[in-house]
Amino acid sequence: MKNYNQPNTLGRFGDYGGMYVSETLMPLLIDLDQSYQKIQKDKKFQKELKDLFKNYVGRPSALHHAKNLSAYLNGPKVYFKRDELNHTGAHKINNCLGQILLAKKMGKTRIIAETGAGQHGVATATVCALFGLPCHIYMGSKDIERQKPNVFRMKLLGANIIPVESGSKSLKDAMNEALRDWIKNVRDTFYIIGSTAGPHPYPKMVRDFQSVIGKEAREQILKIEKKLPDYLIACVGGGSNAMGLFYPFLNEKKVQIIGVEAAGKGPKTNQTAATMTSGTPGILHGSYSYVLQDNDGQIKEAHSISAGLDYPGVGPEHSYLKDIKRAKYYGVTDKEALNAFQLCSKLEGIIPALEPSHALAYLIKAFKNKAKGKTIILNLCGRGDKDLFTAAKAIGFDADE
Amino acid sequence: MNKLDQLPSKKILSLFMTCGFPTLSQSKKVFDEILSHQPDIIEFGLPFSDPMADGPIIQESSKIALKSKITTKQSLNLIAQLKKNSQKTAFVIMCYLNTVQKFGVQNFIKEIKNVVDGIILVDLPFEEEKSIKNLLDKNNIHLIKLISPMTDQKRSKRLLKEAKGFVYYISATGITGSNKLDYKEINKNVLALKKQTKIPVLVGFGIKSKKDVMAISKNTKADGVIIGSALIQKYFDLKMNFTKYIISLRKFIKEVKI
Repeated sequence: MKNYNQPNTLGRFGDYGGMYVSETLMPLLIDLDQSYQKIQKDKKFQKELKDLFKNYVGRPSALHHAKNLSAYLNGPKVYFKRDELNHTGAHKINNCLGQILLAKKMGKTRIIAETGAGQHGVATATVCALFGLPCHIYMGSKDIERQKPNVFRMKLLGANIIPVESGSKSLKDAMNEALRDWIKNVRDTFYIIGSTAGPHPYPKMVRDFQSVIGKEAREQILKIEKKLPDYLIACVGGGSNAMGLFYPFLNEKKVQIIGVEAAGKGPKTNQTAATMTSGTPGILHGSYSYVLQDNDGQIKEAHSISAGLDYPGVGPEHSYLKDIKRAKYYGVTDKEALNAFQLCSKLEGIIPALEPSHALAYLIKAFKNKAKGKTIILNLCGRGDKDLFTAAKAIGFDADE
Repeated sequence: MNKLDQLPSKKILSLFMTCGFPTLSQSKKVFDEILSHQPDIIEFGLPFSDPMADGPIIQESSKIALKSKITTKQSLNLIAQLKKNSQKTAFVIMCYLNTVQKFGVQNFIKEIKNVVDGIILVDLPFEEEKSIKNLLDKNNIHLIKLISPMTDQKRSKRLLKEAKGFVYYISATGITGSNKLDYKEINKNVLALKKQTKIPVLVGFGIKSKKDVMAISKNTKADGVIIGSALIQKYFDLKMNFTKYIISLRKFIKEVKI
């Protein structure tokens, strides 16, 4: 592979990506793109972000050799990139800090965001509290129900939570409503998108802010193992934690890259969120990418036990990486993810979020007694506190007070 | 000849309605009623599952239409059927790009050729339009340009350079069915647009009553108005009584035809 240089100036990753929004938003996206280009070269901005990463988030996140899990697998040597140790408990904060600094720079005074699992909502509410900006979070009412701890967190942080009752009442619909809010409040509002989805420049910008994960992992593994990893594994909903890990390795063709999607009740059922395994290219939320849709182009409702992966679209860069075969994508069911959730807790003393539990499930499935002597970095992008009630219910444990 | 090239010079009325709303068979009756008043333009909304630029009323109408499982093909057939009895009104389709892409752009154009005079692709901005616009041009279907209060003059000049049919000026920053109308600002922007194009400038978003229509006519140099959400709202106001709805539509359209 030649030097990877995506997207182009119109936000295209191959054919994917682009800007499919109404004219009301176009001038804003162009403005955002230009402002983003400026701050990339702004040393003061980068210094401020670096400082926040270190002292507010707690970066660099550790690279943990998961010895017990590795022994259990009797296969590769597994390392966890521990972004679940970040302040707020997931990788989402990396991107939110970048975007809120940009919002400040652009003179915006009101922040909106969508959230599924609540991790991005919590991260957004956190940075809004830190910078003293009013924060409005759109969240599907179904997700509000299944992610109560995060709802309370956001409220404590001073955010206004707007329940979304349309469609499937989850992440996709929250994003529709956030976009509508933005169209209505174009002048003062900055929309912090939490994934590598949406119109250009979001997929690029979010990837860049998240790529701190991959950059650190690269340095860390080179120091420990004196060589690059053989595999990278991350879960993919919209795909921000995965892009963050993958991006700094894309030019290293010996590093094999695996994205794991949520296949819900199974990739061939109607209750799946495995967009790239079960979907076709289409347009959702301003970007051309794989989507779950019917023959008429109506977007289907996704299903996953993990609210963070419960999204019928995927970031355009993943669609591109899939098509050029630079990365491979597989689906993992709710059940497999739940098993991995429990196994990781017992073996490593780390309760993972349900999202990276999908990546763990694939690791366990595909690498048991295989790939001996190889090394793997798995992005443990979130911790499981928020999922305790959902998991308890699914496992059949009465966790009510 | 494209009907959008023969629009009157003043007080143009364009009416929007979602295809398949409330049901496919009732939808035909709704459109028959609207077309019997011979508005200058009719806009057929194709229902989409994720209409991110539309407000709650049009969203709801899409949802209801999709509940009775209307397909793109059925909507296009309905439009073609209506065309047979309507010689005066210009036909325009308003939809989201994914609907067209999934149908196949070439197929879609083949279906609407000689039926439809223009198309509004809500989420296809100028930057992405080239290949579709070429195909539409070849088939004498005008790609209608939306201009928002956020569009600066430099940008609108580029957008309107090859614009045909009419300009859809979004009168409020917001989604369809929004509230506030600032006539002074609308007029200022409409005047600026009229310096950049010879085609009519129509004002849409937030126009709900005869009063609004009169005010636009009196206070601005806009060539006409677009009404959408207000036509659909009546259905919900009347607690989904279809017979009453048709009567109220009739009364409302008579009022707004000034």
